[in-house]
Amino acid sequence: MNIASPITLAAVAVMAPLATFLIIGLIAPLRRSGKPAAWVGILGATTSTVAAALLVVDGRSDILIADWLGAGGKFFASIGFQVDGISASMLLVVSLVAWCVQVFSLGYMSDETPAGLGRYYTWHSLFLFSMNGLVMSPNALQLFLCWELVGLASYLLIGFYFRKPSAGRAAVKAFWITKLADIGLGAGLVALYVLTAKASPDGLGSFDWSPQVAQAIGTGGATVVAGLFFVAVMGKSAQFPLHIWLPDAMEGPTPVSALLHAATMVAAGVYLVVRAYPLFQAAPDVLLFMTYLGAWTAIFAAVIATVQTDIKKVLAYSTCSQLGYMVSGLGAGSLFGGYFHLFTHAGFKALLFLGAGALIHAVHSNELTDMGGLWRKMKLSGTAFILGALALAGVPGLAGFFSKDTILEALHASGQTVPWLMLLLAAGLTAFYMTRVVALALFGKPGHHTEHAHEAPASMLIPVLLLAVTAVGAGYMGGPLAKMVGAEYAFHWSMTGIIATSLGLLGIAAGWAIYGARIVTAEQLAVFAPIGNFIRASAVDRSAAWVYRNAMLGLGSGIAWFDRYVVDGVMNLTAWLAMSGGQQLRTFQSGRAGDYVYAVLVGVVLLVAAGLWNA
Amino acid sequence: METTFAQAWLELNGVGGFPLLTLLTALPLVFAAISLMLPGDQPGAHKALGFAGSIVTFLVSMVVWSRFDTGLGHMQLADDFAWIPGIGARWTMAVDGLSLPLVLLTTFLTPLVFVGAWSAIDKRWKEFTIAMLVLETGMLGSLLAVDLLVFYVFWEIMLVPMYLIIGLWGGKARIYATLKFFIYTMFGSLLMLVGILYLYGKTGGSFSLREFAALHLTDKEQLWLFGAFALAFLIKVPVFPFHTWLPDAHTEAPTPGSVILAGVLLKLGTYGLLRFAIPMFPAAMGTFSPLLLSLAVIGIVFGAMMAYVQTDVKRLVAYSSVSHLGFVMLGIVIYNEEALQGAVLQMVNHGLSTGALFLLVGFLYERRHTREIADFGGIAKRMPVYAAFFVFVTMSSIALPLTNGFVGEFLIFGGSFKEGIHSAMLQPETGIAWRTTVLVGVSIATSGIVLGAIYMLSMVRRVFFGAIGKPENEALHDLTLREKLLMSVLAVMIAWIGLVPGGFLKVSEATVHAMVQPNRPAILQVRSPLDYQREQSRRAPAQAAEEAKAE
Repeated sequence: MNIASPITLAAVAVMAPLATFLIIGLIAPLRRSGKPAAWVGILGATTSTVAAALLVVDGRSDILIADWLGAGGKFFASIGFQVDGISASMLLVVSLVAWCVQVFSLGYMSDETPAGLGRYYTWHSLFLFSMNGLVMSPNALQLFLCWELVGLASYLLIGFYFRKPSAGRAAVKAFWITKLADIGLGAGLVALYVLTAKASPDGLGSFDWSPQVAQAIGTGGATVVAGLFFVAVMGKSAQFPLHIWLPDAMEGPTPVSALLHAATMVAAGVYLVVRAYPLFQAAPDVLLFMTYLGAWTAIFAAVIATVQTDIKKVLAYSTCSQLGYMVSGLGAGSLFGGYFHLFTHAGFKALLFLGAGALIHAVHSNELTDMGGLWRKMKLSGTAFILGALALAGVPGLAGFFSKDTILEALHASGQTVPWLMLLLAAGLTAFYMTRVVALALFGKPGHHTEHAHEAPASMLIPVLLLAVTAVGAGYMGGPLAKMVGAEYAFHWSMTGIIATSLGLLGIAAGWAIYGARIVTAEQLAVFAPIGNFIRASAVDRSAAWVYRNAMLGLGSGIAWFDRYVVDGVMNLTAWLAMSGGQQLRTFQSGRAGDYVYAVLVGVVLLVAAGLWNA
Repeated sequence: METTFAQAWLELNGVGGFPLLTLLTALPLVFAAISLMLPGDQPGAHKALGFAGSIVTFLVSMVVWSRFDTGLGHMQLADDFAWIPGIGARWTMAVDGLSLPLVLLTTFLTPLVFVGAWSAIDKRWKEFTIAMLVLETGMLGSLLAVDLLVFYVFWEIMLVPMYLIIGLWGGKARIYATLKFFIYTMFGSLLMLVGILYLYGKTGGSFSLREFAALHLTDKEQLWLFGAFALAFLIKVPVFPFHTWLPDAHTEAPTPGSVILAGVLLKLGTYGLLRFAIPMFPAAMGTFSPLLLSLAVIGIVFGAMMAYVQTDVKRLVAYSSVSHLGFVMLGIVIYNEEALQGAVLQMVNHGLSTGALFLLVGFLYERRHTREIADFGGIAKRMPVYAAFFVFVTMSSIALPLTNGFVGEFLIFGGSFKEGIHSAMLQPETGIAWRTTVLVGVSIATSGIVLGAIYMLSMVRRVFFGAIGKPENEALHDLTLREKLLMSVLAVMIAWIGLVPGGFLKVSEATVHAMVQPNRPAILQVRSPLDYQREQSRRAPAQAAEEAKAE
């Protein structure tokens, strides 16, 4: 199919949301009119999705690079588009989820004022432009530029309900923690440039991530660059201990959580590793660290997810946990495993968030205790949510099962037993906490608002059902996807798969027994309350908050004191000394002629004495 | 260390043509003279005159830009006349890629300041117009002079109007602030005067920068003279620990004063280092590099932490200047092409974004007569356009990609890391001390980026987000058309430099190249001799090729 060249399609996919961003952002009457602005935004997302789909079908690779920044005739930074299997498939995932979320928001945000809705779609367009630009980056520099821009979009969208003080705080927190981690990416870029400049005959560096570059800079260089990059990945993709911003980011509107903080933006870190994989492959130390850290994040976040009472918080910790799987898989050397899980996760996690959004919209609360028994009222979205939960839990045949299995296989094959066991355990926990959510929200005792709840409107239902299809079907795309990223994949049962499936089913059974069938009473469950409270207290988050509040403010106040009394004090003291010195000197100017004659005489004597001394 | 390097970049080109630069410098003064002759009871006439004068100056500066040859690294469009023959003083003015960006920034900001002042200044418009125009002449003269006496005269001229602007239209504690500002800067410039006179004696009757730079000075002389010059400039920047005059002056100054102070005056400090102190005494710069690097890094973190604990928005922005100019200082101390290009661009960027921030703070102050962060909260609801501009400028200030700040900071950090990493990995045995200083310093400096995001965004959150707590804020009205236009002009520049930096970087490219050519080896000889040998051996063939190409 030859409708347009790959570069043209990529340009359309990136520029369409930019155009809608500028149109909605700059034409104030359109923005304030609300719904029309929303439709403009959706048109942009539709265009991107179509272009991305054509790009995937087209299947050709191409690259366009244009100079952007030069200094001293040397320091060249270029931007452009790199079209290949990885970027094309990722582009489709991003654009499609963005489309679903933007359509869903029509219904979900219907209570918003027209001006607010316009602002909402402005930021959404900005996000889609930045994210698509990130996906199509031909080098690490453009990725960094867009990386910061998606951070900005995230900040703006988390803080969308700006009248809520907690939303403002969460927005700032998300921004600065990721910014802190981004120093790694910035420093990594510079290191990459300097190292490539060293290695090249003409002294020109690059921000390239090709295998040739990895070879040129050697293991030592690659370790520095990949290690620095990974610091930024930890921030963006919410790896322990920099994950603390992600649960707070749930202050944003739920569709935003689905798009940015579950399906696409947080996966940008994983995508960076996928793109720069030649550099990571040349750095075995970094890969090993990733394997362990990812596995630890996966199990750590899964444990916390089991005790959350807010449905979005459960899903947020689940996202941390699943990103841990991807990082661990990439660390174990399986490019395809990590990317495949990113691919399927984007679908079913977006589904879970949008489904949760439909539930929240129906009962006007995030708390699981306020839901209960909603399945009877909301059969379609309830069923879709259950499908998403099962896909996440790793039930055979659904999307999550295949990709998770690939990662576990990779860990097993690489002989990483400890992380492998951690991830297996996390798989059981995942099934457990998702069953808990389903049991509490959709079944069981009806909550306060359940009576008035009703099925979501079509604008919300269509995206949810579309994503439900991906939650079921994405797993079967493994073969074609593997071909696009240059790997091979065919599913077959193995011991790892059987263990993981058994643990998953065990988790479902346990979750259902406790929260669905209620074989243990509330009193018996209360025995575990201290443990739950301990986990909920989240020591990492607390200590980070303590450091931020006390250390920063304390240090700041200390420095302010120092500035006021020492730095400025010394200056004022100098001024005072000069002034009082002047007062003393004034007495010499007595105005009496006699004194002056004396002074002249003394001076003459001194001069003569000095002259004699020297002679 | 007696090897000296010819300062070819200081050669004058285009002498004898139309005295464009002299005209540019004199223009504001001419309008100030007209204003002086008009009666003071017609503020409207003075407003119009001030704006017209600054616009005409801006247009002439555009002519200068159009005639400027970006391919040439030397001084251009030079005017050179006998001035005071008795003492050998000449009236020499010229422009190069180092001064042109700042000249354009000055002529660009001054009309905006006049527009911004329409509501900020409510009395004595005649005096204000005169002061502002004289100040512009002072700034342009300082930037264009390449004769030390002419430079010194303009440098001192700048002080007086600024003193008056803070003293006459300032806030409550303005007397203390003006005194502090005046004495501080005066102290610095007096030492510089001593230095100029010493050098004048050495040359045997010339104040020309070229002759000063060609002098053979002993190491000891270099150190003392560098100290005298650098102190004047470091106070102006201001570099820690000479910064305490700045927050006071900014807080007390009226909005137009703050904009010019932050936008242009501070840059004259960094400009002076690049134009005078370093080329005249490169070896001393090599000796002082570790100290200056440390001060720059301390300034970055210190200024950011101070900004973080401020309760007054304007003081917060003032301290952020200390932090941001620390980045510029970092680029200057590193002194390689990337870092210098970044530093020059960042001077302009800081002028735009901090100028815009001071204007924005001024708009709020005019409405509420308070700048305390605690007096606001949730005002995005009442002032959405204002909030949008504020957030946009904040993004520029914290150097987000696709804004101007990113390009400048990225180049500075790129150059700095390059200096540090260079051979740290590949040849760890050479020049470890300096490289370690750089790497440690730059690593600490990067925290300034995060701290910048923290203090700016926390302030934005407390001012704009949340519910409207104070009933007074319910009545706030959004920006007027004049204010919107003013901010749009600045926003366009911020985005333009951020999106297509090439054209702006091009202006300084050749000059920076020509500047680094003689000065970097001279600095390196002292601060890191092994690096010097390495670069010389690598540069020799490249330079030969370059010269062959030139012929």
